[in-house]
Amino acid sequence: MKKILTLSLSCFLVIAFFASCRKKVEETPPPPQVKEQPKVEKVEKPPVKEPILTEDEIFAKKSLEELNAEKPMMVILFDYDKFFIREDAKPILQNNADWMKKWETIKILIEGHCDERGTEDYNMALGEKRAKSAFDYLLSLGISSDRIKTISYGKSQPVDPGHNEIAWQKNRRDQFTIIEK
Amino acid sequence: MIAKKIITLSCLFLVSNFSLYPQQEVVMSIKEGMPLIHVAIPKFSVEDPSPEAKDAADILYKVISDDLKYSRVFSPLPKNYYNYIKPLDPDKILFNDWESIQAKLLIVGQVSKQDDKTIQFEAKFYDVKSERFIRGKTYQAEKSILRLAAHKFSNLMMETYGEPQIFTTKIAFISNRDGSNELYMMDYDGHNQTRLTFNQGKDYMPAWSTDGKSIAYTEFKGGNARLYIYNPFEGKRKLVFDRGTSFGPCFSPDSKKLAFCSTEDESNSEIYAAKSDGTNIKRLTFNKSADVSPSWSPNCREIAFTSDRSGSPQIYIMDAEGSNVRRRSFGGNYHDSPSWSPTGDRIIYVSRVQAVFDLYILNLRTDEIIKLTEGYARNESPCWSPDGRHIIFSSNRIGTIQLYSIDYDGANLKRLTSKGQNKLPDWSQK
Repeated sequence: MKKILTLSLSCFLVIAFFASCRKKVEETPPPPQVKEQPKVEKVEKPPVKEPILTEDEIFAKKSLEELNAEKPMMVILFDYDKFFIREDAKPILQNNADWMKKWETIKILIEGHCDERGTEDYNMALGEKRAKSAFDYLLSLGISSDRIKTISYGKSQPVDPGHNEIAWQKNRRDQFTIIEK
Repeated sequence: MIAKKIITLSCLFLVSNFSLYPQQEVVMSIKEGMPLIHVAIPKFSVEDPSPEAKDAADILYKVISDDLKYSRVFSPLPKNYYNYIKPLDPDKILFNDWESIQAKLLIVGQVSKQDDKTIQFEAKFYDVKSERFIRGKTYQAEKSILRLAAHKFSNLMMETYGEPQIFTTKIAFISNRDGSNELYMMDYDGHNQTRLTFNQGKDYMPAWSTDGKSIAYTEFKGGNARLYIYNPFEGKRKLVFDRGTSFGPCFSPDSKKLAFCSTEDESNSEIYAAKSDGTNIKRLTFNKSADVSPSWSPNCREIAFTSDRSGSPQIYIMDAEGSNVRRRSFGGNYHDSPSWSPTGDRIIYVSRVQAVFDLYILNLRTDEIIKLTEGYARNESPCWSPDGRHIIFSSNRIGTIQLYSIDYDGANLKRLTSKGQNKLPDWSQK
């Protein structure tokens, strides 16, 4: 009895062993798929840095409105009823000319204005004379005439609506506007 | 012998009497210095009891009374005079009553409601002394344009007396009441102020065409000051000049030409004349001085303008082709904005003395000068009415710039505008 039991058990064990061996081979777990920690490749795009623009390029990107808002060319003022270029206007006109020489493609409009203490009609002529004075002065500083246009607004567009000497002086002016880049 | 003389004389008398009382329609002419014609205007009768008819009668009555009072031709009787006589019965007019209160003319008006929208206005006027019907008309108008119907009747009375019909004329002007300078128009009496331009540009210095249908003006836009002719009734616009700063248009009274200024030549303001459609532009002034503000004479043979060729701005006259320039203003160092009266004998202009601007009228025949305005203000841009009896101008006397009407002799000053700043008026001919 014992011998049969021992024999059958050992046979069983042998069979089981071989069976499990085979099974082991068969049951080799498949290569891990999702469950295994994936190898992460960090994808990075190098940031595109704004290129350092040259002054020319900065200038080229601005619109006329933006350029004019920066007021690169200053206003000059005039005496009452007069249209000659005052001494205090000369350095301003020099700066305006320098700026125009730096940006050679710029074309400008010189606007002549008057204060309210002249009549509507005659002030149109006076405003134009004031624009012309600045025009002539810029020409004398070497700016070519085809870069400058003139207009008169007479007294129709004051910058200061007041009725006093300060307002009147502010209104007797030439304004310089960029009209073409 | 004596009998023959008597017969001849009596024949002459009869013949002359015939010619004094012609059978055809009466056309009389008014000369300056003639006394005003007293007109009785009893309240208009209302045919039906509707409130619309009553309101309409009130409006028509007020407008006609105001028109005739304004005219300087007629003089409505004072209201209390009507208390002395019986009220008017349109079917049985007692002319003796009206004569007794010194009425020379009698206006009879009857108002009724035609339908929901329309009012009918029947108006007649009579010569009191001769008890004769002179003229009348029936008007049918919607309630919204009753004023126009009333003005038309006032015009009818003026026309009967050979006078220009001014009551339907319009004034073009510039106003900034909606933000920036735009073109507006209004009735001669300041009513119906209407905006005409709705563009991005700023408008300036309007001038009516002779037929009253178009306006020449300057538009400031995009760094340009261009001259246009605009028909606001058809919404059409035409470019006339776009070189230099172009401004100050003025149509000739015969409707053939348009004068204007431009700085296209070396920024120097010069005067040009074109055909009234803007074509065929010719330059009239050729000197280094500033020449501005052209104004045609009524016979269109001459132009008054401002020039500083003497060193200061003064009033000059030249021929329509630009020759024969002669100076007409003296005694002062700043004269501008001449406007030639439709009567041909006077020019009104602005004189500046130490920041005060006053209006002066120069009589071209007598060289007499009348000062029209007084006080510490800037009065400028004067323009005559078509009959030469009234002037429209701008003044800052109340602090803001407004439009005023004044008579040729300085009487009857009246402010016409109040919103925003209003300036640069021009009075249409029709």
